[in-house]
Amino acid sequence: MSRTPGLLAATGIDKRFGANSVLRNVSLALAPGEVHTLMGENGAGKSTLFRILAGIHQPDAGQINLDGATLDLRNPSAAYGHGIYLVPQEPALLKELSVAENMFLGMLPTRGRFPSRIDWKTIRGQAQDSLSALGLDVDVRDDAKHLSIAQQQLVECAKALLRGCRIILFDEPTSPLTGREVGILFSIMRRLRGQGCTLGFISHRMDEVSEISDRVSVLRDGAVTDEVGRDGFDRARLVRAMVGREVIFDRRRVRREAEGEPVLSVRGLAHAPVFSGVDFDVRPGEILGFSGLIGSGRTEIAEAVCGLRAKSAGSVTLAGQDISASSIGDIIEAGLVYVPEDRARHGVILPMSIRDNATAGQIGRLQRKGGILNRGREVAIATDTMRRYQVRARGIDQPVGQLSGGNQQKVVFGKWMSTNPKVAILDEPTRGVDVGAKDEIYRLIEELSAQGMAIVVISSELEELIVLCDRVIAIYGGKIAAELKGADVTAARVGAAFLGVEAH
Amino acid sequence: MSSTATAVSDPSRRKKSRPRRRELREVTLLVAIFAVVLGVGVLRPSFMSFSNIEFMVLSSVVLGLVGISQTFVIITRGIDLSVSAVLGLSAMVFGLLSTTSSMPLWQALPLCLAMGAVLGCFNGFLVAWLKIPPIIATLGTYSLYGGLTFIYSNGLQVDQVSPNFAAFGNDNLIPGLPVPTPVLALAAVAAAAWFVLNHMKFGRNILAIGNNAAAAYNAGISVRRTLLAVYTISGALAAFAGLVFVAYTGSATATTGTGDHVELQSIAIALIGGTAIAGGRGNLAGTVIGSVFLSVVITALVFLQVPAIWYSAGEGLMILAAVTLGARRSVNP
Repeated sequence: MSRTPGLLAATGIDKRFGANSVLRNVSLALAPGEVHTLMGENGAGKSTLFRILAGIHQPDAGQINLDGATLDLRNPSAAYGHGIYLVPQEPALLKELSVAENMFLGMLPTRGRFPSRIDWKTIRGQAQDSLSALGLDVDVRDDAKHLSIAQQQLVECAKALLRGCRIILFDEPTSPLTGREVGILFSIMRRLRGQGCTLGFISHRMDEVSEISDRVSVLRDGAVTDEVGRDGFDRARLVRAMVGREVIFDRRRVRREAEGEPVLSVRGLAHAPVFSGVDFDVRPGEILGFSGLIGSGRTEIAEAVCGLRAKSAGSVTLAGQDISASSIGDIIEAGLVYVPEDRARHGVILPMSIRDNATAGQIGRLQRKGGILNRGREVAIATDTMRRYQVRARGIDQPVGQLSGGNQQKVVFGKWMSTNPKVAILDEPTRGVDVGAKDEIYRLIEELSAQGMAIVVISSELEELIVLCDRVIAIYGGKIAAELKGADVTAARVGAAFLGVEAH
Repeated sequence: MSSTATAVSDPSRRKKSRPRRRELREVTLLVAIFAVVLGVGVLRPSFMSFSNIEFMVLSSVVLGLVGISQTFVIITRGIDLSVSAVLGLSAMVFGLLSTTSSMPLWQALPLCLAMGAVLGCFNGFLVAWLKIPPIIATLGTYSLYGGLTFIYSNGLQVDQVSPNFAAFGNDNLIPGLPVPTPVLALAAVAAAAWFVLNHMKFGRNILAIGNNAAAAYNAGISVRRTLLAVYTISGALAAFAGLVFVAYTGSATATTGTGDHVELQSIAIALIGGTAIAGGRGNLAGTVIGSVFLSVVITALVFLQVPAIWYSAGEGLMILAAVTLGARRSVNP
């Protein structure tokens, strides 16, 4: 159990999904006891490579060796047998079952002869012990649905250890986590490495990668373009390997003091105990940042402003019109849109085409007399969306679910922006989006603001807030904790504010 | 380490008590049953007579058996619409065999279970191997098995059964204990089902599949074999319910089961009992109590001299009321 695993090497891996070639002759070696990070744009093939190592997908060509022996990873159980475990991007815990049962899924111990009973006592005891060993304090009898994503990831780690797995692959674990949760995950990853585990890691965030990695491999379009050890770590080099071109990372926007009448005014917005006393204004052409930890109430505030969530008090005025009690449809019509964080759940309809998605926000305006849709206008809007937002796809009839995360986000953008809103609230606009697409999305946001749109960006990424925003409001515990503008918008001050350190 | 521990456990999402909500459901249903019994009993005293209560419990046995099998299927995110057809076919086949061929009960019982298992196994094959959505697969076999009843009966119907069948359906198994054999059979089946669901690997695999079949497969659970077994058991239990029905009533027609929409009733009582239609969560005690509830409601309509043409509508309203109250509670636990 405490033995250090051998060298896990994938050689010459090819993988196609239908006509789509995802990996081409990829080789990757995870050395014993290292944290090996995969970087690359969305769609570069990182997840697919990990899934092959974990037995979820089978390669079309190539082989996988552990300590020289060739492995046949026909399913995940076979991978567990060789000590390889994948912590998936979205932890797949069974919501209605207890945490303990989830940890022993597929290997529930039994006692007695037929009918052999499940040994719940052993299960609970061992589950509780292994979670405590990772420093996670939850009741293992509780349903898994009550755990946060961070907690679910730690349960997945414990599952891996219970199965005796010493090679643990993390598929982009940090994207749904807050900064503090990332810190906890990293401390556990370091501890596992200290105990001799080999760890695979996927992340888009440069800071995280430089903090935790012993070695970084970069994938682009299904092929490894670079591999560097800790010593050769260089941001510019990695980004170049990832996107194949230079990206201006440290771009600093001139922070303008927006003038003119506020286009959106919120006064005394409250819904105890989630948020209270929220006052803020946004002016045309301004980019306002909304920072805060997940759970700070920032999303709930935005949803309440946009009529998607109940509020018990407060007024919302949009361009002089009181929309506090308006229906969602009227609010959109008046020019306020909310682009949610979870694309797949609220933003796009994955099986439907780009055309259907792009026009979904204004379908009412596309009716001719008698309610028949104007197909020509639909096509025009969708084509325009693809062009303006540089959506990379086969055509407007390709289902959105087949696009990469960044391109899906661009479709969502296009959908809302085609309604010509006065104010757009963007919740985590670059979550799960790769560096190249991130840059494009930033450019889009700046372009829209230059055209006079007022934009609110909700984000838990410091870098995003600093690169993008004119002014930042920090939400802490459901209240506005601080407002920073001009020269005050620095990493230190914004960071302190959303951790609740800096009071207003 | 303590800093890690406190940081990861968010006190606001701490330990919502799952068991409490479930018990509440069962208590609510029992209260509803007593309310109906007392309310109707005041208006029509004979409703509360021992013989009527025995009748209501007995007539809930058939529903309870099918409800338990439906509960298992729904937990897997499936549905079995063919249960009423299997029930009807079994009632017809063994009702006729008991008189025309004088088949004794001890022969009929294993044969009936075997027949139901084969029919259910075919459903499982369609669902697990051919990947036909359960609602479509069992809609097909509903017509198929229902059609077999017509073909087999060929215009005949069951008007009476042999004495040993009738004894099985109505008499008490244990002398002195005023509990008819079918009620004991339901209790045994329910207890076995509870044990399987809570204390055996097979039962936990059923729940795992209902929660997330892909994750269950990834954990090494054989999804196809488990589904096949669940549908097989569903068929066997439905056939057993048919045998109980014909033994108890002494009659069966070509539309027994399907005519009363037993398949919909079985789904309704599973949902009333707190089983989630989206799968992954089941409540067997709720199903059993739900079957009594439905049986009491149906009998109450008769006692209240509600015109027969209103039965179906009244039953539907009660089901909707029960499911709506339950649904609201599970949205806001």
